[in-house]
Amino acid sequence: MTEEIRIGVFICHCGINIGGVVDVPAVVEYASTLPNIVHAERNLYTCSSEGLESIKAAIKEHNLNRVTVASCTPRTHEPLFRATCKEVGLNPYLFEFVNIRDQCSWVHMHEPERATEKAKDLLRMGVAKAARLEPLEELTSDVIPSAVVIGAGISGMTAALSVARNGFSVHLIEKEKEIGGMLRNLYRLYPTDEPAEEFLEQRIKAVKEHKRIALRLSSAVRAVEGYVGKFKVILDENGIEKSIDAGVIIVATGAEEFEPEGLYEYDGERVITQLQLEEQLKKGDLNWAGIKNVMMIQCAGARGEVVGYCSRICCMNAIKNAKLIKEAHPDINVFVAHNELQAYGEVYELYYRDAKKAGVRFLRFPLERRPKVRRSDGNLVVDVFHERMRLDIPLEADLVVLSVPLVQNPDATQLSKMLKVPLGQDKFFFEAHVKLRPVDFATDGIFLCGTAHGPKDIGESIAQGYAAASRATIPLARGYVHSEPIISSVNEELCIGCGICESVCPYGAIEVVETEEGGRARVTGVRCKGCGTCGSSCIKRAIKMYHFTDEQLIAQERAAVVTEVIS
Amino acid sequence: MGERSVLVIGGGVAGMQAAFDLAEAGIKVFLVERTLSIGGRMAQLDKTFPTNDCAICILAPKMMDCYRHGNIEVLTFSEVISVEGEVDSFNVKILRNPRFIDEEICNGCGDCAKVCPMGILNKFDMDLRVRGGAYIPFLQAVPLIYALDREKCMRCGLCKVVCGKDAIQYDQRPEIVEMTVSAIIVATGFDALDPSSITEYGYGRYENVITALEFERLICAAGPTGGHVMGKDGKEVKSIAWIQCVGARDMRDNRPYCCSVCCMHATKEAILTKEHYPEVETYIFYTDLRCFGKGFQEYVNRAKDDYGVEYIRGKPGEIREKEDTNLEIFYSPSSDKVERLEVEMVVLCTALIPSEGVEALAGVLGVELDEYKFFKLKDPYNFTETTRDGIFVAGYCQAPRDIPECIAHGSAAASRAMEVVLGGNRNHEKSQ
Amino acid sequence: MKSEKFIKTAVKREKENVSVISDIINRTKAYYCVECGKCTSACPLSRFGDYSPDRMVERALLGLSVKPDLRIWSCLTCNRCKELCTYGVQYPEFIRELRSLALEERERGICAHGEIFSVMKLLALPHENPQKRLYWLSEEMKVQEKGDILYFTGCLPYFDIVFRDLEVHTVEIARSTVKILNKLGIAPVVMNDEVCCGHDLFWSGDTGTFKRLAYINIQNIMSRGVKKVIFSCPEGYRTFKLDYPEFFDLDFELIHISEFLSERIEEGKLELKPLPGLRGRGAEPHSRTDETVTYHDPCRLGRHLGVYDAPRRVITEIARNFVEMASTRENSLCCGTSGWTNCDSFCEEIRRERLRECINTGAKIMITSCPKCLIHFKCHMSNRKGEYDIEIVPFEVFVARAMGLV
Repeated sequence: MTEEIRIGVFICHCGINIGGVVDVPAVVEYASTLPNIVHAERNLYTCSSEGLESIKAAIKEHNLNRVTVASCTPRTHEPLFRATCKEVGLNPYLFEFVNIRDQCSWVHMHEPERATEKAKDLLRMGVAKAARLEPLEELTSDVIPSAVVIGAGISGMTAALSVARNGFSVHLIEKEKEIGGMLRNLYRLYPTDEPAEEFLEQRIKAVKEHKRIALRLSSAVRAVEGYVGKFKVILDENGIEKSIDAGVIIVATGAEEFEPEGLYEYDGERVITQLQLEEQLKKGDLNWAGIKNVMMIQCAGARGEVVGYCSRICCMNAIKNAKLIKEAHPDINVFVAHNELQAYGEVYELYYRDAKKAGVRFLRFPLERRPKVRRSDGNLVVDVFHERMRLDIPLEADLVVLSVPLVQNPDATQLSKMLKVPLGQDKFFFEAHVKLRPVDFATDGIFLCGTAHGPKDIGESIAQGYAAASRATIPLARGYVHSEPIISSVNEELCIGCGICESVCPYGAIEVVETEEGGRARVTGVRCKGCGTCGSSCIKRAIKMYHFTDEQLIAQERAAVVTEVIS
Repeated sequence: MGERSVLVIGGGVAGMQAAFDLAEAGIKVFLVERTLSIGGRMAQLDKTFPTNDCAICILAPKMMDCYRHGNIEVLTFSEVISVEGEVDSFNVKILRNPRFIDEEICNGCGDCAKVCPMGILNKFDMDLRVRGGAYIPFLQAVPLIYALDREKCMRCGLCKVVCGKDAIQYDQRPEIVEMTVSAIIVATGFDALDPSSITEYGYGRYENVITALEFERLICAAGPTGGHVMGKDGKEVKSIAWIQCVGARDMRDNRPYCCSVCCMHATKEAILTKEHYPEVETYIFYTDLRCFGKGFQEYVNRAKDDYGVEYIRGKPGEIREKEDTNLEIFYSPSSDKVERLEVEMVVLCTALIPSEGVEALAGVLGVELDEYKFFKLKDPYNFTETTRDGIFVAGYCQAPRDIPECIAHGSAAASRAMEVVLGGNRNHEKSQ
Repeated sequence: MKSEKFIKTAVKREKENVSVISDIINRTKAYYCVECGKCTSACPLSRFGDYSPDRMVERALLGLSVKPDLRIWSCLTCNRCKELCTYGVQYPEFIRELRSLALEERERGICAHGEIFSVMKLLALPHENPQKRLYWLSEEMKVQEKGDILYFTGCLPYFDIVFRDLEVHTVEIARSTVKILNKLGIAPVVMNDEVCCGHDLFWSGDTGTFKRLAYINIQNIMSRGVKKVIFSCPEGYRTFKLDYPEFFDLDFELIHISEFLSERIEEGKLELKPLPGLRGRGAEPHSRTDETVTYHDPCRLGRHLGVYDAPRRVITEIARNFVEMASTRENSLCCGTSGWTNCDSFCEEIRRERLRECINTGAKIMITSCPKCLIHFKCHMSNRKGEYDIEIVPFEVFVARAMGLV
């Protein structure tokens, strides 16, 4: 070894999060006995400015060339500690993370002594690996300054328009002949009651007139290749295959209305869905003459009936249609049977009050006793169990409107595979982080907005459209992207070009190319996420995972079982 | 004109996200925060719904990312006092309140706080913990720079003696910083309503009636009680009831709106309680359970089925304190019944209202507020636009929304500001 | 002339008669009900009997029958529900209008006191039934026929006779009020041709008679050139302040005696001494004869008009050992009956509860500023001799005692 290994260890109390269970001073003391350790200390919060300053000072003071932090999870904190090392000139990949919170103080919270022993074991392993770390350099690559937006509903249109206004060209892909999405089927919008058509018209105009937006109508995505900065989207545009290069992709494929086949006597005529009602209201072809009582039923097919989730928008949508009917036809009785009423936020609660004032009557049923629709002598009767009065109320209805949930577009499954981005339990696209990254995917360069992410109304879809535009503009505006150097690399002398690695790679980052020596696997670094699947499948051990080399991992494993300290 | 930049007012999640997106896109950002640290309300929370992520654990890296970003200048303890000009060229004056500790010199060692003899209730901990006159609001505060509470400070001089860096400056004066920015984003968040005026629930009169934010500090491992949920007498409680819509959906004080987050917030607090103390009884009184977000219904199902949280429909009409300080809640579960439930602690999910001082700020910015002091939208379907060109809005200060919505909204406002800075777009969209 | 102007405006604001339930729903904002049950959980009646304001509203909203329901006569109209309702439903008004509707169809509640309503109607015809309304005045009291300030006596002389067996002595309230005013240098106008304010008839749905009474009272007051009317009765005060203006224009000021006295104290024009035997400001702190005093908020003065501080301001001048009951101010428990209708065992339960609250404070004196509260509590106590060791004292009498006037 050319250079003396000098490791500094920093152990975090995380307030009492770790320190309340793990005996941190004992772990520090133990750390000092490990090989190559020249400095060990503990911090109340290693991630606080104070803790970070302390790391930097120690690197300088003790001339550290490896740093190990034992604290929480690399998921949230590794970038921070790496950056801290980098600030004082230490290659960030000479940093090693040991998680003694999730793996010690949390899971063994009732066994503090054993948690402390485990923390020592994990630290010993981490230090063993740290001693063998190698400096790595980050990769950068250029970004094609344009975006592809898939889906031209209101969120996709908004995202496209904002990216275009930010100065970048946009390909807006729509499978239908016309843009506008679900809004094209709506009658009026809450909370202003303005006609959807007029609202949409102005926005379509803005999109069509923008010089940096190229519309791709009647187009379906057939394949997606590439990675952030260099995507290639293959389209079937009116039967003709086209290829578009773009730096980023925004998914805005929308959702559709659930079809309540077999529920509540649904027949599409006298028992219809809210969207069917809106279409009829829009066309004006509903015959009001025979209608005295309108009954709306909420959560039809949702919240445990067919799908599990609450579809967010149906309450407001029903309130809107109920109010519009009542205002236009004061003599008609309009009832909304609901369980919880989702008139959330500022404006919607006011709108709900307006509907009550207008004379729409609301009945609450318990979720375990939903209303029943029956036909009696050619009439429709809705039996509603009144939750609060504990009373069965049969209500005659001339029109029953079912408020059904929004469900994922059937094309989404295919698209998620093409983009290699996940769908959640509810089949909607699954964002990178439920709390902190609502419009990102875990895959760099691909973003998400609108009802493809989950039910949303117009304003919320527009807001998300803008949000996705912001996130997508970042790589476009920078012109380059960084990627982590923790990727795989092929030793071509050992590789026999069998192609197993290519078949298992989930990111399409490795492929066999013909060379003079025969087939050899090659890695596209920017695309590689460093998952290690190729490395573990390579029968010739020709693939090395940077930062997780065989040497490093074997040392770590050895340290796990060999408890006495070996230099 | 020099570098084109954006001013972001408010350093909570929405403001930080807006600042971060802009900075990442290469735009210079001034992030102005009124308190001593960025982080906002989320920093006060223990965990977040529906994933039960530890709030400060996931937020702290974001705070640091923001503070360390080369394109972001964070101005804490500062207020915007004047805005002139128009979109693309707003001349802004910012008042930097004195910390009485030199920002450049202080290294956050905390020695001043250790020697300070003062005991002052810490607002960050909802007044449940005492801090010194030299202080940071919480341990993960960003930036880690102490401040002296000059209103309470007795000027004993101990901190000055002990400060090894000579950072204490008793005579520091307020400073005014001027800058020119192309666009402004407002993200001033919310305050929790003081529920003393809602006398039927006895907050302020009964010992163990507390607010949801107070509970959040109680159950937080880093909070005043180290995560122990205890009454005023220091004993761990055995039964807790949450009451929704306290001061919200309430016409009596003209606050008809729903705060959007409390149903889930209470659900989370009840789940956390059950995780800490499986034997504690938990009840949530609600009117409409607003579980409309992604994964919320499933979260509520888990609370009911896996944790045994009991949901009771109805707004209690009255709470009475018994001699043993137990609380008797009167409620009506159906229209033929009035029942009483005795619990040891009641948590009021109070209305979350636009931050104090928002009217003055709106005046400075020349934008309108609506009847309930939320920033008024020019177009009701575009949540980013205030009534003035070049001034955008993000987060709860525009209307009630939860953390991911605030973050998305922060990004959305950032894109609008990018339109100005990168694309030279000067006008708000005309009803587009 | 004032009276001419008055007659003109009197016709102007005539309301149409109550017609259908949907109009009542709209007028009283009952449509805002979300059935949270808050009203029911706090309603004094619901707590002891099968009564639910929100159920009544919900039935009306869904078009189910409500009118023949006798329970519309049970409501105390105490405003507890209205005070608590966060959605803005005006339930007491809803009930009042339903009663009006029922009355048109000749339905009415069970009157607890015989034909009291018929008597009131008769009293509305003063010329046919000349009354001796001022029998309680004595020589030493200074009153006048015309002047700036009028004292509206209300039903006190009448109650004194009707409830003689309860020993309510309600004329003492009137006497105390006049004596207090005299002491302040005021000789109030009192009217022999005063008529019932109409409160009970109004809340029982008899809007027609109510308007006739209001008309007579306003005309009589105006013809005397009065600028300010002082009330001791919260019901009269509420009726003048909130209900008369619905039909007529009033151009005189209205004030409750507690507010009037509280203003004088603030201005330094009235100094009250602790009542002998009570601890008060300036009294011996450990006097053995200290009495603990509490105050019962009448619904009309409290929740209907928001007057909570004024009586307390005055009482605490006299009695420093003042305590609040468990439910107080806007959360006060009611005295249990209103408008003489449907007084039943549940109403007695409410009274029992309220008096227990008083006992729990250790107070020996419960002050109230409403003669009806006085009557109801005394009635309850008289049937349970020895059970309660407390005295119910009218506010005015309490003050007059402290001033050494009675």
